[in-house]
Amino acid sequence: MYKLYAILIGVLITIMVTFNGVLESHIGNFLAVLVIHIVGLSSISLILLLRQERPTIKKGIPLYLYTGGAIGILLVLVNNICFSNLGASLTLSLGVFGQLLLSSIIDHFGLMGMKAYKFQLKKLIGFSIILVGLIIMTIY
Amino acid sequence: MLYIVLAIIGGFLTILSMVVNAGLGKEIGVFRGTFINYVVGLSLILIMVLMLGSFLDIKTLASIPFYAFLGGALGVIIVASSNVIIPKIPAIYTVLLNFIGQIVAGIIIDYIRFDFISKGKIIGGILVILGILYNSMIDKKQLRDGNNA
Repeated sequence: MYKLYAILIGVLITIMVTFNGVLESHIGNFLAVLVIHIVGLSSISLILLLRQERPTIKKGIPLYLYTGGAIGILLVLVNNICFSNLGASLTLSLGVFGQLLLSSIIDHFGLMGMKAYKFQLKKLIGFSIILVGLIIMTIY
Repeated sequence: MLYIVLAIIGGFLTILSMVVNAGLGKEIGVFRGTFINYVVGLSLILIMVLMLGSFLDIKTLASIPFYAFLGGALGVIIVASSNVIIPKIPAIYTVLLNFIGQIVAGIIIDYIRFDFISKGKIIGGILVILGILYNSMIDKKQLRDGNNA
C-alpha cells in the first residue's frame, strides 16, 4: 500500500513541476519562485498550527543544516527553466539521472556523514540502460 | 545541451536538499525544519527580487489560472507525505516508485499540453525504469551481503 503512495508522490511531483512551470511562463522565474515560497510558507505554517507545534531554532547545530531553503530556491529556478525548454518528462528523467549519479558518488565516498558503500562496476550496466533511455527521450 | 546539464544539476540539488533537510528534521522535527527552510528560502528570493527590481502587478496575477498558484502547497504536501512514507518502504524502491509516478504523469501532461504522445518518451521512460530497477537490485544485494558480513 505504501508503495502505491510512493508512486502517487511521484505523480504529485510532476503536477507540482507543471504548475510551477505555468506560473513561471506568466510572471517570470524569480517572481514565480517568490510566489511559490509565499504559498509554501503559508501551507507549512498552517500544518504547524494544526499540529500545535511551535517553530524553533536550535543553537549549536551545524550551520549548513539551515541552507536547505537556499538549495530549494536554486532547485525551483533550475526546474522552471528546464521545464519550459525540455518539457515535463525529460526534465524529470534527467533529474532522476542526476539523483542516481550524486547518490552513487555520496555512497562510494561516504560523504556527508553517510556510510560508505563502494561503487559496484555492475551498476554501470544500469546507468547505461538509463542513458540509452534518456537519449531516446531526447532525440525523439 | 545547456538545459540537459541544468536538469541533471537539478537532480544533484534534489539529493543535496534531501540530505540537508533530513539532517535538520532530525534536530528540530520535520515540520519545523520545513518551516525554517521556507523562511530562509522566502527571505533569499525576496532579496533577489528586490535587487532585480521586478514587481508583481495585480493585473498579471489575475490573468494566471488559479491552479498555477498551488505548486508551493503541493511542495509542502510532497515533503510531508514523503516523511511518512519513505521510512516505511525500502529506500532503494523510493526513487524507482517515485520515478514511475513521475514519468507516467509527465507523459500524460506533455500529451495534454502539446496534444502529442511521444513513442520515444514512452520507450525511453521504460528503459530508464529498467535501468533504475537493475541498479536497485544490485544495491539491495550489496546491503544484504553487507549485513551478513
